Amino acid sequence: MEYEFHWNIVFQKMPQLLNGAFVTLHVSVLSMLIGIAIAVLLAIAKMSDYKLFSLPATLWVEIARNTPALFQIYMAYFGLGAFGIHLSPYVAVLSALVFVNAGYLTETFRGGFMSIPRTQYSASRSLGMNSVQVYRYIILPQMFRRIYHPMTNQFVWSILMSSLGILVGMDELSGETQRLQSLSFRTLEFFMVAAVMYFLITKLVLFSASLVSQKLFKGDL
Amino acid sequence: MKLTKKIFLCAATIAAVTVFSATQADQLDTVIKRGVLNCGVVLDFPPMGYFDKENKPAGFDVDYCNDLAGALGVKAEILNLTWGDRIPSLVSGKTDVVVGSTSDTLERAKSVGFSYPYFVFKFQVFSKKGTGINTFDDLKKFKVGAALGTTYETEYLAYAKKHGWGTDNYTSFKSENDAYLGLFQGKVDAIISTNTNIATKLQTQEFKDYVAGPFVPDYDDVVGLIAKRSEVAWIDYLNLFLIHQIRDGKMNERYNKHFGSEVPADLIKTLRDNK
Amino acid sequence: MGSSFFTPLSWNDSGFILTGVLNTVTISLVAIIIGTLLGLAIGFIRAEVSRFSNMLLGGVLDVLRSVPLIIQLILFSTYIGAIGHPLDPFVSGSIVLSLYTMAFMSEVFRGGFESVQRSMITAGRSLGMSYWQTVAYIRLPIGLRTVFPSWLGVALSVIKDSALVSVIGYMELLRTSEQLISRTQQPLEILIGVGLFYFIISYPLSLYGKYVERKMSI
Repeated sequence: MEYEFHWNIVFQKMPQLLNGAFVTLHVSVLSMLIGIAIAVLLAIAKMSDYKLFSLPATLWVEIARNTPALFQIYMAYFGLGAFGIHLSPYVAVLSALVFVNAGYLTETFRGGFMSIPRTQYSASRSLGMNSVQVYRYIILPQMFRRIYHPMTNQFVWSILMSSLGILVGMDELSGETQRLQSLSFRTLEFFMVAAVMYFLITKLVLFSASLVSQKLFKGDL
Repeated sequence: MKLTKKIFLCAATIAAVTVFSATQADQLDTVIKRGVLNCGVVLDFPPMGYFDKENKPAGFDVDYCNDLAGALGVKAEILNLTWGDRIPSLVSGKTDVVVGSTSDTLERAKSVGFSYPYFVFKFQVFSKKGTGINTFDDLKKFKVGAALGTTYETEYLAYAKKHGWGTDNYTSFKSENDAYLGLFQGKVDAIISTNTNIATKLQTQEFKDYVAGPFVPDYDDVVGLIAKRSEVAWIDYLNLFLIHQIRDGKMNERYNKHFGSEVPADLIKTLRDNK
Repeated sequence: MGSSFFTPLSWNDSGFILTGVLNTVTISLVAIIIGTLLGLAIGFIRAEVSRFSNMLLGGVLDVLRSVPLIIQLILFSTYIGAIGHPLDPFVSGSIVLSLYTMAFMSEVFRGGFESVQRSMITAGRSLGMSYWQTVAYIRLPIGLRTVFPSWLGVALSVIKDSALVSVIGYMELLRTSEQLISRTQQPLEILIGVGLFYFIISYPLSLYGKYVERKMSI
């Protein structure tokens, strides 16, 4: 192989890469938090009997689940730009990720909620619990246990998909890698390091998620 | 026993010769034998490279590819690249040469082989009329954009850093086209681009309300063809090709076609001086 | 010459768009088919073999699932060229997308195979079936029956992820449309068209998946 690896330039640029990795983590955490909040509302709206609420929620969910994330990011950036709505690359990627996360999590939440038999509700009520207590002690803990794993997966997905920031010139890990490699032309070195960093970030997230789940569920998931 | 030994020796010699000659065939031989020149061009950088309305590649760089292929007696295959694709395409062997306005920085020359310069650009500010950008320092007050990983991005960011502007009002775009689209949509107030691209944009309906502004101070963007660094003989050929483009009047012809005027004498002089 | 840089969308472009559509469909199908076959084999192996070899195999699959597809594509197509075997964007795109699909499919199938109760296999063996007979008549039919909805889910995500092959220069739908956006400066119309295309392919299939899932759970 005639390619000679030059690693020292990558080490010199390490601070910029780490900074990019931080932005990646930042945007995916934020997209999860906002996504969860919206998904709760959408799940409630989707289960509503009123078409006024359920229809827009269904529309959101189906568009989010049936179009590529790349398309959504372009849409948020240049599509909305045509209406004079100008999001920065960061906000465009964030909103696209939020849009998708909310769409997928809505179905997760709804599925989790539906999986708990209605009879438990009436049983708990007949034991003298009020509605709030039933949700607080019976329904939500069981539901949370069921949605925890899909939520972690969604989080990992967000980290991986934030790499599409490269396409709108965002300064997350992939975009930063792209910039550094075009200045020095060391493509393989920079992208290899980026790949390792993504791997470590996702492992870190999964590891912390399993720690949290052990604390929360005492291991029995 | 003797016979098998002889056959084996023969086979080994043939194998060795084949392997040896295979490593000896350099890029120049490879291209001529293949009969096709894989030529990378950045096709979102008019008038150097763009798609015409039949969605076919066109432009100054595309013509240079065809001229080079003509000189080699082969067919040119034009590959569309983004700024960031240029090096990967060479390293991965998808392209034999990239005619893609590549600034010949010393950092890049550690990774890739440069020919003599074939063009010189000026970096310029482009914005809507009446934005109020009269000097380069006025940019401080505006949202500025440029294409990611380009020399003008680096130059702007270095200038901004030196003058303590910060990078909050700066936006990167994936490509040159995206930068113009961003300016057109109003995502940024001004972009930095090359004088040549700006001049062609100014002739269009879409950008008739826009104006070319100040140049990036003290910077000439000298660009060369790039090829694999190890292919010295190939780069020699490219160099001679570039000299012939000037000597045989081809450069003037191409310049005339795409810029509508004779090649400025100082451009020719810079190209000659630099080599 | 000047004004020809920007020309509005016209009927001339329909052939160009159609090529993009066909390329998206082709590369998705290739990746789904190869990814499914490989995933089936690997999923079976993972459900069968010892812990240790499982860990090794799992590690490789894990890398494929934990590095963004876009980075895998760039790395693979650059690396394969750097060692002297440049590949056409379609070929390198297909390889990477197929392996990526395989990584997800193998988990789907592994789950299916593991859902088959050991006692059924033992019963089969005691009835005189050979090892491969238990595979063909017990494990495959029972293991695969339940995984269809998950399989469809992965397949749908592959169609959507195929858009990323554009970064290594494959002229699929999104890259085609991007080129048109550059020329026409009409991002909205073109993007909506692209979104509709994916939706029209993906939505009916996802509905079908849900239908099957519901039928199974009853």
